Amino acid sequence: MPSEAPIVSCRGLKKRYRTGAVETVALNGVDLDIAPGDFATLAGPSGSGKTTLLNLIGGLDTPSEGEVVVDGVRLGELGKNALTDLRLRKIGFVFQAYNLIPVLSAVENVEFILQLQGVAPAERRARATAALKEVGLEGMEDRRPGFLSGGQQQRVAVARALVSRPSIVLADEPTANLDSKTAGELIDLMARLNAEAGASFLISTHDARVIARSRRHIELTDGRVTSDSAAAREPA
Amino acid sequence: MLAALAWRNLWRRKIRTWLSVASMAFATALLVFMLSFQLGSYATMKANALRLFEGFARIEPAGYTDDPDVRRMIADPEAAAAAARKVPGVSAAAPRAAAYVILANGERSYGAALDGVDPAREPRVSTLSATIRQGRYLKEGDDDAIVLGDALARDLGLKLGDRVTVLGSAADQTVAADSLRLVGVFHTGLGDVDRQVAEMPLARFQDTFAMYGAANVVVLGGESLGEVTRALPAVRAALGDKSLKVQDWGALMPGLKQAITLDFSTSMFWYASLVVVVAFIILNTLIMSALERTREFGMLLALGMRAEKIAGMMWLEMLFLAVMGAGAGIAVGGAATLWFEGHGIAIAGLEGLMAQWGLPGRIYPTLSAVSALSGPLAIVASVALGGLIPYGRVRALKPVAAMRAA
Repeated sequence: MPSEAPIVSCRGLKKRYRTGAVETVALNGVDLDIAPGDFATLAGPSGSGKTTLLNLIGGLDTPSEGEVVVDGVRLGELGKNALTDLRLRKIGFVFQAYNLIPVLSAVENVEFILQLQGVAPAERRARATAALKEVGLEGMEDRRPGFLSGGQQQRVAVARALVSRPSIVLADEPTANLDSKTAGELIDLMARLNAEAGASFLISTHDARVIARSRRHIELTDGRVTSDSAAAREPA
Repeated sequence: MLAALAWRNLWRRKIRTWLSVASMAFATALLVFMLSFQLGSYATMKANALRLFEGFARIEPAGYTDDPDVRRMIADPEAAAAAARKVPGVSAAAPRAAAYVILANGERSYGAALDGVDPAREPRVSTLSATIRQGRYLKEGDDDAIVLGDALARDLGLKLGDRVTVLGSAADQTVAADSLRLVGVFHTGLGDVDRQVAEMPLARFQDTFAMYGAANVVVLGGESLGEVTRALPAVRAALGDKSLKVQDWGALMPGLKQAITLDFSTSMFWYASLVVVVAFIILNTLIMSALERTREFGMLLALGMRAEKIAGMMWLEMLFLAVMGAGAGIAVGGAATLWFEGHGIAIAGLEGLMAQWGLPGRIYPTLSAVSALSGPLAIVASVALGGLIPYGRVRALKPVAAMRAA
């Protein structure tokens, strides 16, 4: 069976930061493909470049060298607005600090993405409500973030990330602020949504339980991919 | 949702929002009241100055303003007056004749501006009759009567009942001479008027000055200066004799118009300063808010909200703030203006002076669309324009750096 084209493809990715005369190498030549439907974790010590890699894949930052292709689109060729539009339509984000809009209710937070996409009001309300139901927040649609627990807020964030049916969801330490029970539930939820919706997930984490639930694990050390379970599974 | 988001964002910092609204409301109310007060005082000044003698407007022969010669006449002043009175807004039209004459009493003689007026109609276009201090004003049926300013009567050594000799140049270029009895002395408080003006019955004037029923001007009056001024194009159209000119108040009292224009221009500078200060206060709030919310903006950019939409959201927040402040200011300033419009404002020391001129001792602000809306609209427009400033800042934000902001 021929292999599918990757959703994300990184080639020779380097990212250097300069602070005064000091140059820091955050990524030092990363080659990585994320296949459709992947549920991959990205681990490594602090400063290994996990967040930088997610930022480059998400088009939030630009590489010093190398290339990122998302769903066939070379990010380096896009202007600012085109990059923003690509994030809106092809990438879902789940942040460590939830990053919900505090003045909007749960359902409005989820709807917000669809509104930016220009989806009609009735359709976006229906889809947002369904997305919240999917993440187990039925009945909490009208609560603002301040009236939701951390776990519930992160579920809203997951619903927001998935409601627009993105090509890939990038999650940066999504369980870091949650207690272990809530974190476990969240991981179960993301794994289920990955299996049911088929959306690819790339999750940066230190959490062993998250890594244990992933189907693919990538280790990053000093800005390089030092191990990738997908590569290990490939036939010789 | 952008508007809903902007509106809700506004109330994330309730105290700051209320303070901003209050400062805008205060400045707006001040602008509404001050502008109403100023326009009201101009209206009072114009109306009273014009009502005293000149009238709100007048019909005259071409060139009369530049060269007020008795020979420049309206042949049928009654027809002109009747045509003008038919125009809505003009409720009075009184023909007048005027000449520069020598008034003499024995060996004393002084130059004067003598007007022939219709005693019945003149009080409807001029308040001079209300300034009589001795004797009485002219009345219907008077023939050889004359009223003088008190300074002129004093200079001529005249007292009530004395006769005064009039010498002038008639319309037919003969000598106009008459002897009139002093029936009243007026005191307007305006030196030039009290020293130089005299009035006599129009019919006698026309005989004495060989005018044969003609007049030099037809003075127009009405409920208000504004009404009469607005009616003037229709008056022009209604006049059968197209050689006649219709002059508005500015042409009758160019000095007053210039003084008002100068005063208003100076005031505009202060009003503009107030608007700028308020706009800066609001902009400061906006920029503080933009700085505080850098992380949030970074998150919105990351989620796929374009910079111009984020800036638009902030702009809407400013606009809501400005509209609320301006609305509250219009309400407060308008209410205060309406109250004082009914009660007037007495300015210490001014009452006596104004009473001396036969003018009301209180100034009445006048609320109008211009006074109620121009200041607030200027503030809202300035804030709306200034609200574009943060656009550049939001546009320059990079999602990662913004999300790392404190």
